[in-house]
Amino acid sequence: MRDGDVSVVALSAGLRQPSSTRMLADRLGQATLSALDAHGVTATAETVEVREIAHDVVNAMLTGFPAGGLPEALEKVTHASGLIAVTPVFGTSYSGLFKSFMDVLEPDSLTGMPVLLGATGGTPRHSLALDYAMRPLFAYLHADAVSTTVFAATDDWAGDGDTENPLPERIERAGRELAERIMRTDRTGPADLYDDVPSLDQMLRP
Amino acid sequence: MQFGIFSVSDVTTDPTTGRTPDDTERVRSMLTIARHADAAGLDVFATGEHHNPPFVASSPTTLLGYLAAATENIVLSTSTTLITTNDPVKIAEDYAMLQVISDGRMDLMLGRGNTGPVYPWFGQDIRQGIPLAIENYALLRRLWEEDVVDWEGRFRTPLQGFTATPRPLDGVPPYVWHGSIRSPEIAEQAGYYGDGFFHNNIFWPMSHTKKMVNFYRQRFEHYGHGRADQAIVGLGGQVFMRKNSQDAWNEFRPYFDNAPVYGHGPSMEEFTATTPLTVGSPQQVIERYASMRDDVGDYQRQLFLIDHAGLPLKTVLEQIDMLAEEVVPVLRKEMETKRPAHVPANPPSHAERAAARLEDAQTRNENEARDEIHA
Repeated sequence: MRDGDVSVVALSAGLRQPSSTRMLADRLGQATLSALDAHGVTATAETVEVREIAHDVVNAMLTGFPAGGLPEALEKVTHASGLIAVTPVFGTSYSGLFKSFMDVLEPDSLTGMPVLLGATGGTPRHSLALDYAMRPLFAYLHADAVSTTVFAATDDWAGDGDTENPLPERIERAGRELAERIMRTDRTGPADLYDDVPSLDQMLRP
Repeated sequence: MQFGIFSVSDVTTDPTTGRTPDDTERVRSMLTIARHADAAGLDVFATGEHHNPPFVASSPTTLLGYLAAATENIVLSTSTTLITTNDPVKIAEDYAMLQVISDGRMDLMLGRGNTGPVYPWFGQDIRQGIPLAIENYALLRRLWEEDVVDWEGRFRTPLQGFTATPRPLDGVPPYVWHGSIRSPEIAEQAGYYGDGFFHNNIFWPMSHTKKMVNFYRQRFEHYGHGRADQAIVGLGGQVFMRKNSQDAWNEFRPYFDNAPVYGHGPSMEEFTATTPLTVGSPQQVIERYASMRDDVGDYQRQLFLIDHAGLPLKTVLEQIDMLAEEVVPVLRKEMETKRPAHVPANPPSHAERAAARLEDAQTRNENEARDEIHA
């Protein structure tokens, strides 16, 4: 684990207020902090609501550069010690807004990032979207997603969801996995554009 | 300091009238715009190079060759010449020819281009963009500097005993700028050779431009071409002016809202706040552009994009007049006042470089003569 501040950032792509996606993101964040705390690691938690920067995300796609609130959100997400990414499932996959945010990230900016994946939906029948949509996206980005993902269906927010393996237990387990991954990782943030510029001699003689 | 205009040569429907010029009309408009800029007293006219609609400027040296005869004082340049997909041998020939025809009143800016399919259309691979720019330019320099070139590289047929003609005017190759927005490798290249570096920041926030220009300045100094603040820097800019600021906003807004690059995205308010686009009175343009040196240091060339997004020719010519009469004289004076004496005011002209070459040759001869006497 890197020295200095440990930050857990939750990226929530929920659209409604209040949002069950945001609720799940917050719960996963708390579970991660608790697990870190159990190991004696103090961490901070922050949430990035994609909704609040939705226009900036679209503008960045159209103009090619981030402006408005987007640079700060990108900085938080890519410099986190661990990332929790939660999206509602729309039409069998992550929401378009969630994917748009992922699309304006620099291609290498999540390499090696410990990630916990979460999703919400009306019924548990959508839960596999985490494994066939979310996980490949983060694998493509070379992020380091923990094996447990958490899907919260509407019924999970009451007692009649999964009684064998209820939502709080799944959240707790997922938070523990992310905490352990954060502690084993020494990622220090995304590469800077100017870090490894080859000299002209190196470029002339590849 | 030089102030000029650069064109991307887009054929765009005027959103206020629905009228679209054809290619012929657009090319002729560019000629009119360049001649008008020359007559108005602007310092530089630069044309882009594109190989796909809606752009018409596929053949920069043909356009600039005509303008060399049709203009008096304006420096003719490019923004940019594609160093990746053009054969460097043809660039050496075309631009040496332009240099001779214009009697040295030209330079060129090399760039990689921003349209993916241009690479395969010209038989290249976009993933090799940087290596192509590095190798092709290394060859281009040799073709200008050496009378007979033997050469072998990765991307082009080898050359044995090749001489590019015409030889450069007075033995001095055309002055070269390297343009790049996002690639520090190109800033490194410009620093290595001590060439100019142009950052076309018209779609980028100043924080980004500042870092890239600084990187170039450090590398320029590292390679021994002078102090970092003496490196030759150019910036892009974009303005729309009317006497009254509100008139400028009202008139330009439909063009902004429908512009091919940023239309339908951020509002004009957001875009003018985050990028150098300035819409308003000439005084507001002066204030905005006078502050650019605070971020990038004293620089030598400022180019404005003014003939795009379907703006009518008449409007473009009016913008040129306002630039030349109201903006540039004030900006130039202000920049001159603040510029330290050891920082060049302008990029090196052909006459200066030819004189420097002559002086070098004389020093060399004197040294040789002295060595012979002592021998």
